[in-house]
Amino acid sequence: MRPVLVLADHTATDRSVCRSTCALLTLARRLGPPMAVLCTPADAAGVARLGRFGATTVATSSRTELDEHPAAARVELLAHLARRTAPVAVLVASHRLGQEVAARLAARLGSGLVSDAVDVRLDAGGPVAVQSALLGAYRVESSVTRGTPVFTVRTDAVAPVAAPVEPVVERVDIGFPPGVRAVRRIARRPAGAGLHPDLATAAIVVAGGRGLGSQRSFGLVGALAEALRGTVGGSHTATELGWCDRRDQIDQLGTIIHPRLYLALGISGSVRHRAAMQHAETIVAIDRNPTAPIFDLADLGVVGDVHRVVPELLAEIRRRRATR
Amino acid sequence: MTLRLVLGLMLTAVAFGLAGRRILALARLARSGQPAEPERTGDLGTRLVAIVTEVLGQRKLLKWSGPGLAHFAVFWGFLILGATIVEGYGALFDPDFHIPIIGTQAWLGFLEDLSIVAVLVALVAFAAIRLLHSPRRDGRRSRFFGSHLGAAWLVLFMIFNVMWTLLLCRGAQINTGNFPFEYGAFASEAVARLLEPAGEAANEVLETVGLLASLGVVLAFLVLVVYSKHLHIGLAPLNVLFSRRPRGLGALLPVHSGGAPVDFEDPDEDDKIGRGAIEDFTWKGMLDFGSCTECGRCQSQCPAWHTDKPLNPKLVIMSLRDHALAKAPYLLASSDEQRDKLPRDVLAEAGRPLVGTAEAGGVIDPDVLWSCVTCGACVEQCPVDIEHVDHIVDMRRYQVLIESQFPKEANVLLRNLERAGDPWGRGAKARLEWTAGLPFEVRVFGAAGEERLPDDVEYLFWVGCAGALDENAKRTTRAVAQLLHEAEVEFMVLGSGETCTGDAARRMGQEMLFQELARQNVETFNAVGARKIVVTCAHCFNAIGNEYPQLGGDYEVVHHTQLLSRLVADGRLRPAHDVDTAVTYHDPCYLGRHNRVFEPPRELLGSVPGLRFTEMERSRETSFCCGAGGARMWMEEPIGTRINETRTDQALETGASVVAAACPFCISMLTDGVATRKQQGKAAEEVRVTDVSELLLRSVRGEAPPATPE
Amino acid sequence: MRVVVLVKHVPCALRGMGFGADHTLDRAARRGQLNEPDEYAVDQALQIALRRRDVQITAVTMGPAEAVGALRKALILGADEAVHVLDDRLHGSDALGTARVLAAAVGRLGFDLVLSGSASSDSGMSAVPAMVAELLGVPVLCFADLLRVREHKVEIGRDDGAGLQAFAVALPAVVSVTERCGEPRRPTLAATLDAHHKLLRTWSLADLGLADGDAGVATTVVRTVTARPGGAEHVVLADAPEVAAIRVADFLAAHQFL
Repeated sequence: MRPVLVLADHTATDRSVCRSTCALLTLARRLGPPMAVLCTPADAAGVARLGRFGATTVATSSRTELDEHPAAARVELLAHLARRTAPVAVLVASHRLGQEVAARLAARLGSGLVSDAVDVRLDAGGPVAVQSALLGAYRVESSVTRGTPVFTVRTDAVAPVAAPVEPVVERVDIGFPPGVRAVRRIARRPAGAGLHPDLATAAIVVAGGRGLGSQRSFGLVGALAEALRGTVGGSHTATELGWCDRRDQIDQLGTIIHPRLYLALGISGSVRHRAAMQHAETIVAIDRNPTAPIFDLADLGVVGDVHRVVPELLAEIRRRRATR
Repeated sequence: MTLRLVLGLMLTAVAFGLAGRRILALARLARSGQPAEPERTGDLGTRLVAIVTEVLGQRKLLKWSGPGLAHFAVFWGFLILGATIVEGYGALFDPDFHIPIIGTQAWLGFLEDLSIVAVLVALVAFAAIRLLHSPRRDGRRSRFFGSHLGAAWLVLFMIFNVMWTLLLCRGAQINTGNFPFEYGAFASEAVARLLEPAGEAANEVLETVGLLASLGVVLAFLVLVVYSKHLHIGLAPLNVLFSRRPRGLGALLPVHSGGAPVDFEDPDEDDKIGRGAIEDFTWKGMLDFGSCTECGRCQSQCPAWHTDKPLNPKLVIMSLRDHALAKAPYLLASSDEQRDKLPRDVLAEAGRPLVGTAEAGGVIDPDVLWSCVTCGACVEQCPVDIEHVDHIVDMRRYQVLIESQFPKEANVLLRNLERAGDPWGRGAKARLEWTAGLPFEVRVFGAAGEERLPDDVEYLFWVGCAGALDENAKRTTRAVAQLLHEAEVEFMVLGSGETCTGDAARRMGQEMLFQELARQNVETFNAVGARKIVVTCAHCFNAIGNEYPQLGGDYEVVHHTQLLSRLVADGRLRPAHDVDTAVTYHDPCYLGRHNRVFEPPRELLGSVPGLRFTEMERSRETSFCCGAGGARMWMEEPIGTRINETRTDQALETGASVVAAACPFCISMLTDGVATRKQQGKAAEEVRVTDVSELLLRSVRGEAPPATPE
Repeated sequence: MRVVVLVKHVPCALRGMGFGADHTLDRAARRGQLNEPDEYAVDQALQIALRRRDVQITAVTMGPAEAVGALRKALILGADEAVHVLDDRLHGSDALGTARVLAAAVGRLGFDLVLSGSASSDSGMSAVPAMVAELLGVPVLCFADLLRVREHKVEIGRDDGAGLQAFAVALPAVVSVTERCGEPRRPTLAATLDAHHKLLRTWSLADLGLADGDAGVATTVVRTVTARPGGAEHVVLADAPEVAAIRVADFLAAHQFL
């Protein structure tokens, strides 16, 4: 039976299998027997976790290129496996690395690619990917007409469901061509090593506004930013009242930001503030006022007192970090 | 006798020679500028009326009663004393000369002497004003800060000389029997009584000395005038004659090059865009610079100067004049070789950038240029009708369009206007969000497939970007919509068919973007067949009403306060419920000063029972800007104190708990100001800033005030 | 040094847009503009040109006749010349089809560096730059938050949420830049007017030698499109703080921020 290739992700810190991979496996099972591709030496815990979510096969490779040149090496590995196993589809989580790998793999294989699927199913014509288009106003279903379907999947909306099997572990040993080593990592500043990036270039921004009420409470913003390894910002009001530096003002007249995650604490979301942060990819807002305009914009909104929610959130983050 | 004739004529010849040379050079300098906009010479009737009221009637000077009266006295004194110059020259030829027909009548003698006395009294007043408000005492607050003080005192001294020599001559003439007036010349008679004891011979000598001295002083004064700031004596009437009518406010003129508007779709290679060098100004610009009397009325009103910013309209004009005069030899040189031979300081002056920092040797500092809120308070006050705002915008145009140099945060505004058609980048679709939850259906053009405004629609309601997208302004929009609905006025909105009017783009100098946006809106208006348009934003009001005609869009534009006050007057809206609160009203610059809508908002407030209305000290024509105009809304305000907070303080001084305004940007600025003052404990918690229409709605509906938003 | 910038023409506003009968975006109904991230890419190319003298910037787009608007904007923003690949057969091309055409155009032009915005605002398709690189057989650096071009190599900085990393690759290469790489500068009027005189070429598939190849052949097909009134879901919680905190943490974990 033709497998479904699933590119597994592991965390950088302890190399455990990510939640996104479990979600991918959950979807992959609908298309065929999942073959998880693990780009790290197979450890028992990892294999067990993959098996718990239905991976019938775990293909692993321990080549150092996979760590040193993640995108190029993964493309080689997946292309090799795709040619060998003629899979029903290849599923990759749609984060940055996944998007790059999937795009190059599709080009390599001459296959159709569907990006940012929110759901996947099988019908008579083969695998179908469901996308959410035009700011969620449309649901688009697509299938691939040429080659092996390659899907990148937004796993945040997919709940992992366990379906335990005993996986077969298969070591894949292929030699990588020299081109894989073209891209070199020349510097790496580990997360949380101080020196936060500028607001304008930050990937994660935590900002506070009037709802925090005082300079002291504004400390919560810094604490949460620290926990998420983000950069601190403030609304027009917060800078005006001197709670944070004018440099950190997120406002039409301050810094325009393009983060991947924006967390707004006690910010109502005036039109001027919106102008500066509406380009954020993902927005989470916590504010007491349920009619605050920020909630129209937020992917996740919490109506509540920042002074109570944020300490709870900090505690929850600490708990999760400790148990992993 | 002959000696006195020869001396007199020689003096005259020398003085006319010196003055003539200067005047010719000044005329050449003015002509080296660009041609002015053609409309400046049209409509002569209005222009002559302006001469009568502003020059002869001294209308604008008399707004400040003390100094105004003193100037009135000197101005009319000198006009009348023109007769004494005729008499003086006559006396050179014939000691017994008098002006034909009226020359011996007592009233003329009385008038002349009255003038002399009035001028002398005025001189005392002027000296007192200068001493009381000397920059040494008052620093920046003195309206003579940075003015040429020595020259001013010299002029006062020369006027004094003209007066005493005249009195000396006239007194001696009485004693020698050569005086034309038997009665009336009371002051001269008093001097004659003093001189009489000296004897006849002495009086004859005194007469000649007095006559020559008086003519000499007058001639010296003439030379001094053309070489100093008192050029305004000659230039001000011309400047008033050619200035924009009815005033240099309201619309901005399109970018002109060579006296014609620039076509931005296909500009000429040689088109001068804005003002990048002193010679890019028109002759009218040069006339403005020459007309400035350094009186400082403009700076006394300037919100930027008041909040310790480097912009001072007087110093801008003075700097431009001083630069123009210093660069003149370079501009007037006929060839490059001649230019090379010029003294080094002239060449250095010629090399200065028009706009640049102090290190770059700039004539106008960028901080000065970008501090202007285009509120027009300076233009309003200027007694000689200098158009400060136009010059500042023209210099901005060059900086933005040619140099691409402007405060970087304003780039966000421009990008958003270009990409989304509104200042915040929200996009057209967000423009109908304000209608959600209204108890009636707001008619949106095109929703029922119409291609023209239906006949039953009286007004096109132009909501504007702020009105559709800003939280505070949305409340105003909803209030106005509800009031119109209540009064059964049929209106329609364009929804996503609106795009920014381009006011801010134009005022920051991005004329190309303004034209693009304005053209788009004019096309929309013409396509839907708009005739009557109601707006809530003072800036939209000004742009659509005053500037769109430049692009072929002529509509009847009313501000919502005008329409609502008419509806109240007609009894179609009944503000029946008491609104028990103390209120003051802030005149938005682009509604008030620029467009003279002062009464309707006050009438509305007056119609609401229970309101206790107090005027701010600075209101109507002298209203103090909120700080948002001239695209300043979209720029940081890092220098000095905040304009909006200063205005907020002025509003709070009235003790009002509601600060009413009639423009979304004023409301936004004052709301910020009040919030800051509340945080500092300087404003009561219940103080709110609101649009006039919301107060009216409360009175019509009898609703409680909405909770203060977070 | 030859820098080719891949640009895209996108509709001005996404809200209220719809799909046409053939399941492709109904672009005709909307005023279009240059894709915003691509503006950043053009500006980055210009920044390179400001630092070295030998840079020739070519903007390339593939799209219908209106797409020339995006090229004009790119020329105003600093591109020296532009190429428009225009062919009726390209209507409805998917990512791979587009990448094949662009790769052919880039190959024909010759290049040291290919730049592109890292996503397009209308379809969120960030795959094209990586595909073009794969088809050209050169390395790719995606999502550059920071870009520096050295003598024979290019370096980028990238923040994936787990700290900043820097990568380097020898030229020729493809780089896609994010909007975090720096606000594009505003062009002067002179640059705007100058753009009218710059070379703008139109190539057909035949010009690219792709007339009967794979280009333009769809590799994906849209099966159904369903409108979802109300658009994207905004989840707003009003739970007790402890519960809300867990929900937020779950959300952050699901989006790989924890």
